[in-house]
Amino acid sequence: MRAPRLARFGVPLVLAGLVVVSGILIPGFMSRSNLTTILLHVSINGIITLGAVYVIITAGIDLSVGSIVGFAGVLTAATLTSGAVLHLLGPVGAAVLAGVVGVAAGAAVGLLNGGVVAWLGVAPFIVTLATMTAARGAARLVTGGIPVGYPDPSDPMQAQKIAALNALHTVGGGRLPMPGLPTGFPVPALVMLAIVALGGFVLVRTRFGRHVYAVGGNEEASRLSGVAVGRVKLATYVISGACAGVAAVLLVGQLRSGGPDAGMLYELNAIAAAVIGGTSLFGGIGTAWGALTGALLIGVLNNGLDLLGVPSFWQEIAKGVIILLAVLFDVWMKKADARRRAQAGRAAAGG
Amino acid sequence: MPEAAAVGSGPLLALEAVTKRFPGVTALDAVDLSVAPGRVHALVGENGAGKSTLLKIVAGAQRPDAGKLLLAGREVRFAAPRDALKAGVTVMYQELSLVPQLSAEANIFLGMEPERRGVLDRRTARARAQDALRALGAEFDPGILASDLSVAEQQLVELARALVRDARLIALDEPTAALSQVEAGRLFEQVRGLCGRGIAVIFVSHRLEEVRRIAEDVTVLRDGRRVFSSRIAAVSDAELIRHMVGRDVEYARLNAAAAPAAVPRLEVRGLTRRGHFTDVSLALRRGEIVGLAGLVGAGRTEVARCVAGADRSDGGTMLLSGAPYRPRSPREAIRRGVVYLPEDRKTQGLVLGMSVRENVTLATLERYSRRGVIRRRTEREAAARETAAVDLRPPEIEREAGTLSGGNQQKVVLAKWLLADADVLIFDEPTRGVDVATKVDLHRQVRALADAGKAILVISSELPEILALADRIVVMREGRVAGALEAAGATAERVLELALPGAHAA
Ligand SMILES: Nc1ncnc2c1ncn2[C@@H]1O[C@H](COP(=O)(O)OP(=O)(O)OP(=O)(O)O)[C@@H](O)[C@H]1O
Ligand SMILES: [Mg+2]
Repeated sequence: MRAPRLARFGVPLVLAGLVVVSGILIPGFMSRSNLTTILLHVSINGIITLGAVYVIITAGIDLSVGSIVGFAGVLTAATLTSGAVLHLLGPVGAAVLAGVVGVAAGAAVGLLNGGVVAWLGVAPFIVTLATMTAARGAARLVTGGIPVGYPDPSDPMQAQKIAALNALHTVGGGRLPMPGLPTGFPVPALVMLAIVALGGFVLVRTRFGRHVYAVGGNEEASRLSGVAVGRVKLATYVISGACAGVAAVLLVGQLRSGGPDAGMLYELNAIAAAVIGGTSLFGGIGTAWGALTGALLIGVLNNGLDLLGVPSFWQEIAKGVIILLAVLFDVWMKKADARRRAQAGRAAAGG
Repeated sequence: MPEAAAVGSGPLLALEAVTKRFPGVTALDAVDLSVAPGRVHALVGENGAGKSTLLKIVAGAQRPDAGKLLLAGREVRFAAPRDALKAGVTVMYQELSLVPQLSAEANIFLGMEPERRGVLDRRTARARAQDALRALGAEFDPGILASDLSVAEQQLVELARALVRDARLIALDEPTAALSQVEAGRLFEQVRGLCGRGIAVIFVSHRLEEVRRIAEDVTVLRDGRRVFSSRIAAVSDAELIRHMVGRDVEYARLNAAAAPAAVPRLEVRGLTRRGHFTDVSLALRRGEIVGLAGLVGAGRTEVARCVAGADRSDGGTMLLSGAPYRPRSPREAIRRGVVYLPEDRKTQGLVLGMSVRENVTLATLERYSRRGVIRRRTEREAAARETAAVDLRPPEIEREAGTLSGGNQQKVVLAKWLLADADVLIFDEPTRGVDVATKVDLHRQVRALADAGKAILVISSELPEILALADRIVVMREGRVAGALEAAGATAERVLELALPGAHAA
């Protein structure tokens, strides 16, 4: 009932189809190392998408996540390579603190978004458009427009800074040894799977999750039932911001630097993945599982086109077309259900 | 057209063995129906009997799985409501389907706007809309936004919509559920006028006295089957109910088991909300049911919403067991033991896309969770228990609330608040759209709550309901308390006397 019955299988079917076709057509696609590479490439978007799904279920939208990736990323990199922090905590300690700073920075922007949406009643599109612009500006301001990270050879603390960057790299770019996988399992993918699993549990099994759906399904009925509508909305933006913060930390770890322009257009990728994964922009409908399948679908597409050697401009066009087709297929699957719903909604209550 | 209205000229609309199935239910099972032009045909039956489904099929909003529709003797197949409208068939759903942001006039012509060379012909539209509305006795300007009209006025817009389309058949699904008696009376006059033009009317209602006033023919549906058809004059209410329910139902006054406590549980003194109501005082005692009567628009719902924390008041005080009480949100009110069942189930009562279970436990989820994690088994058990208590049909707690019949949706909202186990319960139109038998049963439950020491306020536009249920009746008129009556001396006439504007308080 979260998603119409048939629709729940629409996107997974497209995804499965895509994987099978790619496996047959593209040599090397089905290799374990390629499949784990896909997971790695999907993880940043997957994590941001999970946050987006929370917001969208409440009938909101968060356009600021891409800028948060840039903003939280430069703060993470700055903390990581700050002389004072390194003095005090050492490279590993600095990496931990930098991670905390990144996630907290994301959550703080989310708090701002959520606060304005929930208590001042401004439309989420406008609020997050404003923070999207402002956070990007702040990231550039902090860094003077250039990436923060890899130290100069002349830097007296060069060795410690590199050690700190390497420490965070074990998370952002690290691989866990795993039997049967010579290259190991990418840590960011593990982080994504853990976050999606946790996010799914919270949505389906907790009171808070139930309230998220209720607020998106009918805000007034929820309020009259004693749901703290404002707090629920606020929390979803904090979650979305924090997810973007996690993505920022992973990205800094992976690249060993934080650039103010990182994360450009990530918000659109996340919204696309959420919608492909069956989240309704009207609110009330969406799942963590959908966030994962949506992000995977985009990831498999990217990877397949890459392996086929399709030139990048053509890739973009092909991607657009295939995403549209996937959603159309989904709509087509939903149609029977949707028609039934529309009628029920229009007149079942009609006594 | 009026000539064709002569009785005996064959049915205007005939259904032959129409069947409609939904997953898990047969909503209509080989139903025959024959509706004559110029007559009102009432359709009655329990909640979920299939009345609305039948109308939706007639309107082309749903397609039958089997059977045929004959319009003036010719078979028709409606693929969409548009086709039905073109054939002269209009259905007015209970939840009105006007576009709130458009004017009355624009709503009347929606989908068939008069054009001249591709440009909207506003002058013609305005003139024809005005004619249609005037023919229906409407007194408002066609340019007014639909959202600024009362429910009764919106219904006139829907009827006008039927008129400008030269409707031959108009079906009304519980049109009076949200109307005051006076407004209902006016609607009936207009319906009679339509019949005079030879239009056939199908009329769905749970109120038999209305059915008797307006209809010539009646058909009873039960569990999707047509069990009875006759001229209304030839059948008694008791017989009709027996056909609907399969047993006898007694609609009796329920008296309190014991005298109510002396101290008020909730006291409202001089409560005011500017533009809505002024200087309202009332008291609810434990063990007592107070009825709040008045015309639609008298301010009853507004008072209830302030007491329940849904709106803020501008002046006056409230006391809960003697302690100051000024809720800033429904959440706070619920914490203090005051709950409010809103009047409009679709916009305020239910999350239609959620399951029955999730709706029923929405207000009390705290009780069914541990450290924020929902305990699914206890939740399921509570939902099953409470939906059984209100006789939900079908009794499936995983069903999406939006797919239930109107009356059964109302039962879900009721179950939610019965589960809340509050001390003060405010019911705003608690049995709107609920069938006769269930209504009697729900009244018994409300009385049992009072006997268990709860303080209860019931708002209802149905006077018989107030008279049957309340120990005391407070009547509001134009935002003020017009007077109060003890149940013993209360009659419909005395309540109306107080409720009608222009009349003088006793
Ligand atoms: N879209 C739908 N999906 C599934 N079941 C449905 C749908 N619409 C109606 N039903 C079921 O069909 C049956 C008949 O419903 P219908 O709305 O016609 O009843 P009704 O006679 O109008 O009842 P009420 O007096 O409560 O309005 C009910 O059991 C209802 O749950
Ligand atoms: Mg109905």
